[in-house]
Amino acid sequence: MKTCLIVDDSRVVRKVASRIVRDLGFTVSEASEGAEALRMCRESMPDAVILDWNMPIMNGIDFVKALRREDGGKTPRVVFCSIENDAEHIREALSSGADEFIMKPFDANILESKFAEVGLI
Amino acid sequence: MQDNIFNALADLALNASGQSVVPSKAYLIEARLAGIARREGFGSLEDLVYCLESRQNPVFRAEVAATLLSRDTWFFREPGALKGLVQSRLPERLAASPSGRVRVWCAGGSTGQEAYSLSMLLEDETPAGLSGAKIEILSTDICKQATEKARIGTFGHYEVQRGLSIQRLLKHFTRLDSGDWQASEALRVRISFRAHNLLEPASGLGKFEIILCRNVLSGMARSAKTRVVESLANQLAPGGLIVLADGETLYGLTDRLEPAGDVRSGWVAAGTANAKASAA
Repeated sequence: MKTCLIVDDSRVVRKVASRIVRDLGFTVSEASEGAEALRMCRESMPDAVILDWNMPIMNGIDFVKALRREDGGKTPRVVFCSIENDAEHIREALSSGADEFIMKPFDANILESKFAEVGLI
Repeated sequence: MQDNIFNALADLALNASGQSVVPSKAYLIEARLAGIARREGFGSLEDLVYCLESRQNPVFRAEVAATLLSRDTWFFREPGALKGLVQSRLPERLAASPSGRVRVWCAGGSTGQEAYSLSMLLEDETPAGLSGAKIEILSTDICKQATEKARIGTFGHYEVQRGLSIQRLLKHFTRLDSGDWQASEALRVRISFRAHNLLEPASGLGKFEIILCRNVLSGMARSAKTRVVESLANQLAPGGLIVLADGETLYGLTDRLEPAGDVRSGWVAAGTANAKASAA
């Protein structure tokens, strides 16, 4: 079974995303900020990461840059998921190492569509 | 919703567009019509239906009928079929076209996502054979509002995130101050949009080398399907191709068309599929 790490400081967003991703057949783990997520990735690289932008301690951009430098860190498909949804922010996320970008708010159709785009389903 | 109200609305949809509306969608119909009822000052759905039945107002009837239909669509729906068209069938048809022009009809094209997807593929993956080719896409829908929206080419937050990769969004769309995204001029220039009811004669639209009619027939009553297929066949240029959605078929609806053989869910003029295979 594929694994997905959901990184967001909002418990509500994590809960909503978890339910959708589980329905897509993924095993889900959660982190509330980037540093915690990075520790979890070092223990076990997930197949997918859903990543918020603005979080305490380590934000999404710093996380994805750090992740891509890790051993095996290029493997996970990283889908940014943020309210920062103008073209400049989206480009910054992609150039930092993200594979896809979801503009919040999202629903199951959007998340499924984006996972399909990056070959996760 | 009361049965008599639902039945009146279902009859309206069937007569106006050939589409069958099932009782399980009653809640959707109620939600869609709420805006029209409010705008027109009706206190209830019953009042709106009474007005439809008692006054002969074809414009209002058409608007209500269009509102009853599903317009759920998204970019790059069943992308394999679209890519196949761009990579092989369009270059073939272009090579066979004396005018150097190929016309594509997105029949029942809703708010334009199918036409824009095709236009994006032509921009992104144009095979050498299509370089500089004149490819015209016509997208029609029974709903005038849908075609107007498609013509403007502006899509909302949810629409641009269904089927469209973020790379394609950034390449082909511009974010407006409203938060919506507008398709580029390069995409829009080869597409035209027009309101058209598939139950009505389509001779005014001209002939097409490719007709996409995907996820339209499946919701129609059988008598309407037969009528629509006849109309599509009439508009097919010699050697042309009709493409349906996966799982849709024309078996039992017409003798004028047969499976293309080399195109999934593709149909060509009867007697021509084998000829093409032999020639190849």
